Amino acid sequence: MRVFSNDPQCLLSLIAAKTEIQSCPNNRGRGADSIFHSDLFVSPSHPLRGRGKGEGAVIGTLIIFLFLLVPSAIPAASPDLEEQTRSIAAELRCVVCQNLSVADSPSEMAQQMRAVVREQLQAGKTPEQVKEFFVSKYGEWVLLKPKTTGFSALLWILPYVVLVLGVITALWFIRRWARAKKFHALGVDSNEAARSELLKEDFARPDLEDSSPRAALLRERARLQDEIRELEFDFQSGKLSDSDRIEIKQEIEAKAAAVMEQLRALPPEAPPIEAAPRDTRKIDTRGSADRTRLRRWQIVTGGVFLMLFGLALGVMLTQSIRPRLSENDTMTGDFMTGTTAASGDLQGAMNEGKQAFARQEFPKAIEAFKKVLSADPDNPEAHSYMGYILLQAGHGDGALMAFDKALSQAPNLPMALWGKGMVLYQDKKDFASAREIFERLLSLVPPGEERNEIAKVLAEMPAGDQKRADSAPSAAAAAPSATAQVSGKITVDPKLKAKLDTNAALFIIARAAGTAAGPPLAVKKIDRPKFPLDYTLSQDNVMMQGTRLAGKITISVRLDKDGNPVTRGAGDLSGEYAKNPVEVGANSVDIVINQSTP
Amino acid sequence: MLWRRLVLVALIIGPIVGLLAFGFTRDARYITSPLIAKPAAPFTITLFDGGKLTLEDLRGKAVFLNFWASWCPPCRAEARDLEAAWQKVKDKNMVFIGVALQDTDRNSLEFLKEFEVTYPNGKDASGKIAVEYGTWGIPESFFIDPQGRITYKHVGGIRAPLVLAKLEEAARGIVSAQEGKGDYQPIR
Repeated sequence: MRVFSNDPQCLLSLIAAKTEIQSCPNNRGRGADSIFHSDLFVSPSHPLRGRGKGEGAVIGTLIIFLFLLVPSAIPAASPDLEEQTRSIAAELRCVVCQNLSVADSPSEMAQQMRAVVREQLQAGKTPEQVKEFFVSKYGEWVLLKPKTTGFSALLWILPYVVLVLGVITALWFIRRWARAKKFHALGVDSNEAARSELLKEDFARPDLEDSSPRAALLRERARLQDEIRELEFDFQSGKLSDSDRIEIKQEIEAKAAAVMEQLRALPPEAPPIEAAPRDTRKIDTRGSADRTRLRRWQIVTGGVFLMLFGLALGVMLTQSIRPRLSENDTMTGDFMTGTTAASGDLQGAMNEGKQAFARQEFPKAIEAFKKVLSADPDNPEAHSYMGYILLQAGHGDGALMAFDKALSQAPNLPMALWGKGMVLYQDKKDFASAREIFERLLSLVPPGEERNEIAKVLAEMPAGDQKRADSAPSAAAAAPSATAQVSGKITVDPKLKAKLDTNAALFIIARAAGTAAGPPLAVKKIDRPKFPLDYTLSQDNVMMQGTRLAGKITISVRLDKDGNPVTRGAGDLSGEYAKNPVEVGANSVDIVINQSTP
Repeated sequence: MLWRRLVLVALIIGPIVGLLAFGFTRDARYITSPLIAKPAAPFTITLFDGGKLTLEDLRGKAVFLNFWASWCPPCRAEARDLEAAWQKVKDKNMVFIGVALQDTDRNSLEFLKEFEVTYPNGKDASGKIAVEYGTWGIPESFFIDPQGRITYKHVGGIRAPLVLAKLEEAARGIVSAQEGKGDYQPIR
């Protein structure tokens, strides 16, 4: 018998992850891909999109070669027709690519679409009619240029509306700035006296009892000074924009100028305004220094903002826009919606794990896959890799659990099926179950090298379940275990036949009589059972080593849709032995599946 | 003052970002096919056994039309289900047609043999039928009612119970508003 090594390099040849989905695939390329690569399998409705990177160059060359051949193969179409075909094709979206026109795409589908365009033109259809034909088949998204009527018209109008609005806004701002600037220039002259007056520190504040006009004016002047100070305070604390400050200040200063005018008109009781030109200048200088500092700040803040905006945009664009990796994927991944914030990291960790696995750096690979699983506990690919790592480390049980976890998420994941088959075959020597798994895998894998490999494994596998024979000598000590079994037939109630899921897994569960909770005594799992089914539950199926299948037990079965024994989902079917409990050793323990979980 | 401006900016920028996010996260191909509830495009196909089959001749019967290829794993996954469904309805007034796309005769025949497919199958060598049915992925299935109208479209692998249910609906001329998606998992 050929010995299948647990050596990861050997496994690698079968599970090599060498496929990357390209943005515009050629459909035929996949034959040479490793079909064990999960990407191709977990995305079953994505058949026209995958292409191996490795052979990409070869296919690319082939396509170019074909392109060179094609024109000579077409019976001398008129240049007009060719030109017209091209121009229409350039307006149609290649339905299997990303953002490529039918004219530019090398895919087979695009070639066929070009042929249809040419044929329809030859039949006398106008370019509009040809495009209308494709729209009637694929919908409007097939047009690279959306229509200018109906709802799509918005796409054409909106940019112009936004542009006009933008120009108007810009003009409005420019006008405001210009006005503010003008005021700065004018304000110094016209209200200089008022400003210097208002900024003076020590103002006479006449008593409220003094009801003379002068006192009233002086009180008003003091009030205006307070207002100016408050205004400055508000501006400093960021509650006010510069332009608002200037505007309000202008108003106050105008009022102050009027007050001063009135004061001047009064008979000089005591000179209200001390000549203090030097002071004024000093204060003014301080004001303009403030303004310069402020402007510098504005420029710096604006610059920093622009730089950050540019950086953010650059990072966002490069991180978010990428070729769709799968059918459900989007151009931005989850970046824009933020549903899985760590999806980028996840992909990175996944790749890191795969590379470490390929280099046989298992601790590093484990770290990476653990990281993936902590973010996405159900990731079938990561579970599968963990399974392979455990398998090569000699932990068959752990590996089996990992592969089962992967398969509970992706029942058709070839790398997990292969792994589980290998554990059952080599580690557990459970040839019957291994055969079942490999046969299932065989039905999923297209003809090719890998398929031959599976067929070879199947051919070399000893027929039937030799497990009992193999383990007989060691089991001889535990003499009672030879008879420690329960057998019978499982059937399905005809009423439930319609609800039967051919992909479900059957669990035969034995519990010690009288217990309803906690782990069962023994469990047997049968993938894709065919009813009526003959079963045997034996010592080999006990859950915990050291316990014996003996005494009175209750037997029940569950047909589980998701194959996960822990969860009980809608649509799961179940049944139990009518005369529970039963003594271990009994035969004809027949069970009818007659209950359905709603 | 300041917050009022911030609200104004948010009101302008919010909808634009929202629109972008909406557009970027949707696959335009899942806009419901314009073919549903429309007459199915007529075609004649050469079967692998040499015979010819014309859709027009099947008026009065509910038709299940399936596009497949031997190199497509989900097609393999659904093949047994389709045959099982066919076995259940072959004596009723229903017809199954398989159309192989972008495939070689040899591989197609091997596929049919491997999965013991008994319903009529032919190939669409020029891809014209695929274009007529707006196909962009395989497997892709169409259900056509006895009047020749498409009642349901399913992109991706399909299971026997759904095939039978939708065929029953097609036989009664019931149109499904939504098209179906195959059972698959996104690549991570």
